[in-house]
Amino acid sequence: MDDKVATIIENRHVVSNYFLVKLKLAGPMWKVKPGQFVMLKVPGGELFLRRPFSIFDYGRETISIMYRVVGKGTDALSRAKKNEKTLVLGPLGNGFAAPKRSKPVVITGGIGVAGVHLLAKSLGRKARIFYGCAHKDELAVMKDIMDFNPAIATLDGSRGFKGDVVSLFRREIKPSALGDIEIFTCGPHGMVKSLKKCISASKTPCQVLMEEHMACGLGLCFGCVVKTTDVEEPYKRACKEGPVFDLWQVSL
Amino acid sequence: MNASGTLGYSSEIEALWGVKTLGAYVTKGLSLTPHHGNPIPRVWDERSGMINSIGLQNMGVEKFFAQHFSFFRKKKTPVIINFFGFTEEEYVRCAESIKPHPLVVALEMNLSCPNIKAGGISFGKDPDMVYRIVKRIKEVTGIPILAKLTPEVKHIAEVALAASKAGADGLTLINTMPALVVDLKRKRIPIKGGLSGPTLKPIALRAVHECAQVVSIPIIGVGGIMNADDAISFFMAGASAVQVGSATFGDPYAIPRTITGVRAYLENNGYRRVEQIMGIIDG
Repeated sequence: MDDKVATIIENRHVVSNYFLVKLKLAGPMWKVKPGQFVMLKVPGGELFLRRPFSIFDYGRETISIMYRVVGKGTDALSRAKKNEKTLVLGPLGNGFAAPKRSKPVVITGGIGVAGVHLLAKSLGRKARIFYGCAHKDELAVMKDIMDFNPAIATLDGSRGFKGDVVSLFRREIKPSALGDIEIFTCGPHGMVKSLKKCISASKTPCQVLMEEHMACGLGLCFGCVVKTTDVEEPYKRACKEGPVFDLWQVSL
Repeated sequence: MNASGTLGYSSEIEALWGVKTLGAYVTKGLSLTPHHGNPIPRVWDERSGMINSIGLQNMGVEKFFAQHFSFFRKKKTPVIINFFGFTEEEYVRCAESIKPHPLVVALEMNLSCPNIKAGGISFGKDPDMVYRIVKRIKEVTGIPILAKLTPEVKHIAEVALAASKAGADGLTLINTMPALVVDLKRKRIPIKGGLSGPTLKPIALRAVHECAQVVSIPIIGVGGIMNADDAISFFMAGASAVQVGSATFGDPYAIPRTITGVRAYLENNGYRRVEQIMGIIDG
């Protein structure tokens, strides 16, 4: 883990408010586990803290981040120009644990894809992937993964199943199959809550990648906590004990 | 040193630089019983600083010593135990429970906590309360006591004097400044908490300078130190030592960088010791 100087080689608008930034690192890329993240110093003033982003993809000396503009930090990042230099601290967090069961299932929606993209790529056709979004145009963020035949749900029905991704999952996976699968998920709280309800009877093993406002990303400040079922110390750091948690230990 | 609450519990920064770099490691605020802390959001970017409302989450002083002290023993790092309570009794009992050890070089009292027995007014706002509580703690422990004061007072020098008269061995100036964020879009308050970072530096410098005029005990300066120049300013204003806090979040190497920079400043300007520039602005 270290803080690498990085140069922006590409920062493009993908669709809606999704952007993809690619950076060249001053040195070889770290060894990373799917689900790990970085703390990026966003170029431009007016920001005191870095911003956390999942490692969407990487090459020998490059790192790619898929992000959605939701606030000051991501807005500033969307304006960052090619050749601007900055800093990337990583790799951070625990990442996903390797699947223990024979049938891994990835369920994601919206910008949640940024958290599971690497995992989906590494599992390839071994996994059943479910992706949900508002409209078919947003499928542009899934470009790399379309090869693995993800099942698609769009809220407006413009592609695939009309409705939310958890409803699609419920339709596609028979209750009898729940005993064989292991779920990996990342997405809006509503989606994760709905998924938890759906598998609460079977208590299907599920790892969830959580996102919280962060200050340091290193476990120094205790700013980014997730509430868990641990009675003694319920608040765990998303950046250190996470960002991947056992869904059954998260108080959602 | 690091400011309390900005370097985790012990070894979190070890992957980047070692705690041996520090003059002393200041612990997260510890209390007699564990505190879970506040719900999120607990942190907020405030442009020239940040706001935190961690809520004093800590595993309790007993569990801290059981789980983390061996790390400091291994590294032979001097430790300053930051502690707090919500009543006078809690402060005293907490201080009492900390056994002397050569590595525990001081106890730093966080006096910004609300006194729940006195209607929630912060301990550090009343010179008489500060005097009484520091005196009681001095009676139960032989470990040197630092009083960390809140800037949200009319006359910080008055509070500093009270702490000094009660026997405090030093002062840490200052804690965060109470602040608020407004979310325009959702028309609500996402977070209320302590403001820290560069925006606090001029306030902290003034607090250090004012108090240095009225007490002779050492002052540890803290508030918005981002680099060596900032640290030097605090020495010149009368501080004997400094703490770096929020700077570490934006640049995890802020502390080693600042230490190296202070050494370089002294060398380049013909000083052999920090004492030679302490309070130098007063001629």
